[in-house]
Amino acid sequence: MDAFYVTPFVESVGSVFQTMLGVNPKRNTVKVCTGDNGNERVTSLIGISGRMHGCVALSFPPQTALRLAGRMLGTDMKEINEEVIDAISELVNIVAGKAKAKFNTDPPLQLGLPTVVHGSAYRLKYPSRSVWLEVSFSSEAGDFSMEVTYSPDRG
Amino acid sequence: MKALVVDDSMTIRRIVIKALALAGINEATEASDGLEALEAIKSGAQFAVILLDWNMPKMSGIETLRALRQAGVKTPVIMVTTEAEKSRVIEAIKTGANDYLIKPFSPDQLAAKVKGLLATAAAT
Repeated sequence: MDAFYVTPFVESVGSVFQTMLGVNPKRNTVKVCTGDNGNERVTSLIGISGRMHGCVALSFPPQTALRLAGRMLGTDMKEINEEVIDAISELVNIVAGKAKAKFNTDPPLQLGLPTVVHGSAYRLKYPSRSVWLEVSFSSEAGDFSMEVTYSPDRG
Repeated sequence: MKALVVDDSMTIRRIVIKALALAGINEATEASDGLEALEAIKSGAQFAVILLDWNMPKMSGIETLRALRQAGVKTPVIMVTTEAEKSRVIEAIKTGANDYLIKPFSPDQLAAKVKGLLATAAAT
């Protein structure tokens, strides 16, 4: 996977966070993702299919998830509840939607429905042939990361 | 005036309902998929405008829009969606959408589109 597949998602994070949350995320490191995760996280994932296929995930420490959901909902959020899960789920949906339009395929790429995982003892497992890149961000709402795997459809 | 807000995300429904207040609409019925939206319409409730997501479980927004127009429902519809490709916009307009708003959006953007639609409806 090269930068061609990652750049639209990075740009989309910046645009979506600024428009919907009033947050200006700064991109930090990019590395191959191992899937190890010992800390408590709220991770939202969405699949993309069509001429290209893959998956994008946004992963937040709980405090970052609470701040971002609070900004979306216009109220302070104190705990990871159904409202926070819904807000974080919608964030990845909008980020993926904006990114997929940049690929401009015909027919348009299709999004799945987002899934959210919350906990501290889970590990995302990646199929052996897929390469996941992890892009870390810092922002005034806290640090977070995006994980992307994407490739042209072999079919 | 009342709006029908159709989106599987309660977060988006809440954001949309807040933005509708900027357009003078302070009452809304919520639906989390197309089937619920059709039920709300069948109940006889009158809506000034319908805000309709595209990607939803059970029944998508475009299927819902098609069903509404085939049933003769003329209520103005704004698609509010992550589907940003030009072909999607054209498909929605051909199916009967009156306007199209791509997520992410600001409350002012949504309010402006609703005000525009209401003004057009009032003039006809």
